[in-house]
Amino acid sequence: MDFFDPILLAVIVAGLYMAWNIGANDLANSMGTSVGSGALSIKQVIIIAGVLELVGAVFFGDKVTSRIAKGIVPIDEIMAVDPDLVVIGSLAAIAAAGFWITLATFYHMPVSTTHSIVGAVTGFGLVATIYVDSFSIDQIQWLVLAKIVISWLTSPLIGAILAFIIFTIIRIFLLGRVSDLYNLEKKFIYLQILSACFVALAHGSNDVANAVGPISAAFCAAGVTTGGVVPEWVLAIGGIGIVIGLATWGWRVIETIGKNITELTPTRGFSAEFATALVVFFHSGISIPVSTTHTLVGAVVGVGLAGGLEAVDLSVIRKIVTSWIITVPVAALTSMIIFVILIEVL
Amino acid sequence: MPIEYIRSVLGIFGESPFKPVHTHAQKAVEAVHKLNMAVDAYCHGDYITVETLNTEIFAIEYEADIIKQTIRKLIPSSIMLPVDSNDLLSFLKPQDSITDNAHHTAHWLTLRKMKLPLEITEGLLELMERTVKTVDAYESTVDEIAKLLETSFSKKEIKRILKMIPIVEELEHETDITKKQLQQKIFDHEDELGGTGVFYLASLVRDIGNISDSADTAADRLRTMILRR
Repeated sequence: MDFFDPILLAVIVAGLYMAWNIGANDLANSMGTSVGSGALSIKQVIIIAGVLELVGAVFFGDKVTSRIAKGIVPIDEIMAVDPDLVVIGSLAAIAAAGFWITLATFYHMPVSTTHSIVGAVTGFGLVATIYVDSFSIDQIQWLVLAKIVISWLTSPLIGAILAFIIFTIIRIFLLGRVSDLYNLEKKFIYLQILSACFVALAHGSNDVANAVGPISAAFCAAGVTTGGVVPEWVLAIGGIGIVIGLATWGWRVIETIGKNITELTPTRGFSAEFATALVVFFHSGISIPVSTTHTLVGAVVGVGLAGGLEAVDLSVIRKIVTSWIITVPVAALTSMIIFVILIEVL
Repeated sequence: MPIEYIRSVLGIFGESPFKPVHTHAQKAVEAVHKLNMAVDAYCHGDYITVETLNTEIFAIEYEADIIKQTIRKLIPSSIMLPVDSNDLLSFLKPQDSITDNAHHTAHWLTLRKMKLPLEITEGLLELMERTVKTVDAYESTVDEIAKLLETSFSKKEIKRILKMIPIVEELEHETDITKKQLQQKIFDHEDELGGTGVFYLASLVRDIGNISDSADTAADRLRTMILRR
């Protein structure tokens, strides 16, 4: 199969659409907090986020990407039988995740792109067992999947704990001691710019995989790329897609968020962002895809628990948990259906 | 309207009830200042001004009620505040009574026209002056909550606000003494005032006294809210 194969092109287009979504909503969410506290203008946010997201994706995105590409469903086994199945499976997975994300976004559900793609890839693995005799359900890396799912629970939790600690330190040593609060908050603007950069970097390193994971699997199967590693240019495709999403629609999301969270002063914003970036970047290091948005929500709750926010609406947590439970099976099922349809049609 | 293609974390940020709580306290101050003017006008026999001010205070009381409802709506059980939400609500209630009592008093003033002995006039004006001071001091204390939130309840700020509350209590105590003296004076003039006059003035004085009582209770609950967090 060569590079200009229509199915392979469809995988790239669907991957770019996914990347666009990630940039338009997830990255925008992570960056919106900096605009809200007045640390950065929207234009500055887009430039900073664009550059660092790309850096994060290209230089640190390979681990999570290869985890999604072949860490959950060992594609080598399927490739050995029929490489086309992997390409079609990748298309099914990315299309299913993209479809679910689109639907969820229209209904303002706090669905994670990470959860969607992991669910969709798992769906592909399940349906592949029907088409490949030598591939059984036992070969799907359930242990890895369990680790990933557990981390979805622990990452917002750790985010909350870290943010709580960071803000408590700021509270005790700075807020409680300085006489000029206004000046302190002003100084924290610089720290918040740094933490915003870190968030963009961490986000790029983890979330680029949601768009590029299936592309990488398809390229590998089609023989476009060889060897075990994910080439940087493949990661760059995802990174650029995300930046385009941020620039074409993400600014609207940032604007909406920035306008509505005036409460998040630089000290609070820094605490939440720094905690989020630490957690997400750590998970990129251990090849675990986590949701940046959910971690950020956890971190905000942490700042709230430390007494840093005037009001935190915990009902969102219930919504997140609900959409979390729905997302994985829905994405998996959609992915399976699309796969079967594609196989029957092609 | 175009469809908003947005998934956001915005939902996690609840709307702060503390700003409207302060606005609500400012309404109380506004009402009490107007009542002061109304009592003054009453003592000078300017009943038209009393009527006008009564209407204005009634409007303020209505606004305060709306703010109170807004605050209640802002704190459903899913909202996490840096203080106990029940403590916040139980401090809001006496704060609301300040405006309510000011409104009752203003209304009472419009019910009967009477010429007052000089000693009673002086007593009434003094009582009002002290009431205004008490409520002003109370509002300054509520104003400090913003600082408390900015520093996320730093020890320094807690100490500061806890030192302000006794000032309100002291002023209320002085108001109370003035009230008691005035009550005695009313009975001293009972022949001159007549039974209805005594009843009217005694009720008026009790209503005015209730204003600083409410401020005192609210200040006390504010302390509970801060200490119990």
